[in-house]
Amino acid sequence: MVKGLEDRLFNAFVYAVLVFCALLAIFPILYVVSVSITPFGEVLRNGGFILIPRDVTLSAYKTLLTQSNLPQAFKVTVLITVVGTAVNLILTGLMAYPLSRKNLPGRRIFLLMIVFTLIFSGGLIPTYLIVKSVGLIDSIWAMILPNAIWSFNVLIMKSFFEGLPEELFESARIDGAKEFRILFQIVTPLSVPVIMTIGLFYLVGHWNEFFQAIFYVTDRTLFPLQVIVREILMQSQQTLENADNITPTQTLQMAAVMIASLPVLVVYPFIQKYFTKGMLLGSIKG
Amino acid sequence: MSSNSIKRTSVLLMSVTLLGAVVSGCGNGGGSEASSSPSGSSSASSPAGTDAATPQASADSGKKIKLEVIETGNNLPAPDQDVIKKELDKALNVDFNLTVYASGDDYKNQLNVRMASGNFPDLFALDRQQLIEFSKQGLLLDLTPYMDRLKQATDFIGEENVKKGAVDGKIFAISKSSQIPYNTYFIRKDWLDNLKLEVPKTIEDLKAVAVAFTNDDPDQNGKKDTFGLTGAELNGAFAPVFGAFGVGTPGTVYEKDGKLVNALYDPAMKDALAFIKDMIATGAVDPELLANTALQHQEKAFKGQAGIIWIDWPNMTKENMIEQIKAVNPKAEWIQIEPPAGPAGKFDGSWEIGNTPGRYAIPKALEKDPEKLQRVFDLLNYVSDPKTGSLLVQFGVEGTHFTKDGDKIVMTDKAGEVGYSWLYQFTGRPELSYLQTKFVPQAEFIKFAGDQPRIQTLNGFVDLPEGYVASDADRYIKEELAKFAYGQRDLGEYDKFLKTLETTMKYKLFMDAAEAQLTALGYGSK
Repeated sequence: MVKGLEDRLFNAFVYAVLVFCALLAIFPILYVVSVSITPFGEVLRNGGFILIPRDVTLSAYKTLLTQSNLPQAFKVTVLITVVGTAVNLILTGLMAYPLSRKNLPGRRIFLLMIVFTLIFSGGLIPTYLIVKSVGLIDSIWAMILPNAIWSFNVLIMKSFFEGLPEELFESARIDGAKEFRILFQIVTPLSVPVIMTIGLFYLVGHWNEFFQAIFYVTDRTLFPLQVIVREILMQSQQTLENADNITPTQTLQMAAVMIASLPVLVVYPFIQKYFTKGMLLGSIKG
Repeated sequence: MSSNSIKRTSVLLMSVTLLGAVVSGCGNGGGSEASSSPSGSSSASSPAGTDAATPQASADSGKKIKLEVIETGNNLPAPDQDVIKKELDKALNVDFNLTVYASGDDYKNQLNVRMASGNFPDLFALDRQQLIEFSKQGLLLDLTPYMDRLKQATDFIGEENVKKGAVDGKIFAISKSSQIPYNTYFIRKDWLDNLKLEVPKTIEDLKAVAVAFTNDDPDQNGKKDTFGLTGAELNGAFAPVFGAFGVGTPGTVYEKDGKLVNALYDPAMKDALAFIKDMIATGAVDPELLANTALQHQEKAFKGQAGIIWIDWPNMTKENMIEQIKAVNPKAEWIQIEPPAGPAGKFDGSWEIGNTPGRYAIPKALEKDPEKLQRVFDLLNYVSDPKTGSLLVQFGVEGTHFTKDGDKIVMTDKAGEVGYSWLYQFTGRPELSYLQTKFVPQAEFIKFAGDQPRIQTLNGFVDLPEGYVASDADRYIKEELAKFAYGQRDLGEYDKFLKTLETTMKYKLFMDAAEAQLTALGYGSK
């Protein structure tokens, strides 16, 4: 197949744009990585700006991992993320599956209730009151249960389930399978893409847990990663009061950012193939 | 089949309604509990009075009580590594739970939510505006009848600071003791030497030196990569220049020749702005001056870009700062200088005397739990006791973090472990002696900064009138002054600016309130 000049020009243009976009994305990450492994004096000498580190040190990471609240916060975040995502997926799946069956009585009413919560919410203080009265304040569950189900994800999952061919269910029933067997042995294996995609949404959500932590939790040992990282970053704003605070250097701040974002950064590529598939879910089939 | 499904639907609906009823029932229960505390506030004084009259038998009931305190701050270690918490637990027989929030906005949200939902902390920091609001809503405990039980604390902070916690004559908060100013101009001594220049004595000198620092290659690297002056925005970098004209920071109110003056209406303000405009026009001022947030100006100074900076001594002279400065350039030498003189003498910017570094209030609901209330009082008194608790929250544990040499306190090399102790200074600290003990190598800088003359502003005494939105007005002032300073708006239009400020931004309301309230306090009556 011979390509015309026009085609090649077009391709070149597309590549140029893509490379440019890729650079835009890579550049800040590279900057953060480089500063985090360069001694601060070196950073300052270069005008606070380093892309390719010449003098590498891991002392910032060492300081953070031994002398701050970060390791504890890391544990909390991992726990929230693992338990939280599991809770999310189970509950979302169990809610979406029945709703996807057209013979469910009252299906419209339930769907309406779900859509309603998409548009209206109770607001901060009523939500706080509920969390408080069920006794979740100051517990790790306060960061897991209030957002156990995102209605939007229920809808995505529902439309995926609806796209599964009806014949599958019929044949399963003929073979004698009951609802739970159909759900776990037929629907679940077929739904890996949507589970992965929605799992990733939830996972990132939990990893970035911030607001529920600062509202519902006052016990420092339960603070998740992002709260502590924010604290480290905010410390550079010294006030008159805390003259004895040692402000963290930029190197330390960037290292904290790296520790907080690295795990998600690593997970992404592995889920990406499902992710692209999952993003299209419901767009045509729904 | 269809009748079956209808039945199922109705059963489901019923169960949902039932669930709703249960949930709302719970909600009501919680709600009434929460609302009962403000409603009880109408009879505020009588129970408080009887309470104060009962002897303090409750103080040592032997029960360990959980105390919850929230405030802004950072760097607090986990409770099991927090030696100060442990000492306080032991001394007061409490289980102390301090929570700090790094960002002021987060903290405000948290406090508002908790106040609204009736889940009160036992002691919490708040600003003046919140103090007024919450006290009007009846959420705060009126401390006036308890003053004798807070004697240690009130003695520690002093009469004038006690008054700062008052709303309509009633004390609703304990204020921290006063601080001393930290900021001065710092200048690169080695740059002055390189260019054979003297330390600037007047604002004209300051301008000349800044220009020389910009144009004459003070770092002798053959490149024009430096500028003269930097600081935190206009008000920071030029604070002593405003001072030299006898003008306070824009927006402040102060006494001048026995009369109350607002900086924006001070006749010398225009002269100050004209001088600043000229100085900026020479190109000797940080071109990103207005964008300097947090400590960006300090970074520029460290990097060797700027030669003069108006900043606090901790960020310039603490060991780790020196280390950073020397890492960039071993020859760099920064010295503190006196404010340059101008037509009105010399003032190193403004210093607010009406405000307090912080204040703490106790929720009204706590008066129902006299035992716990007593522990909160115990806490406030304890951290104010110069022989015991105050030492703990200032310097840490005796023998570990500091030792006593007669009356003199010497920090040990473990002192760094309790660098967060300021979070526990609920009633403040004796500022000068505290700093000079903690920062022995910096003692001179501390004293120097504290000794500089400043224009004493009174804004902290003024409660903002209703209908006046301070943040809008402040932003307008900042934007327009920047335009004047950068020559984008002609100074001839200054009066027009004031006119808009008074009408559109309702600054007149603030002016009248300030006048009335400060006159009532006895200011400006000479």
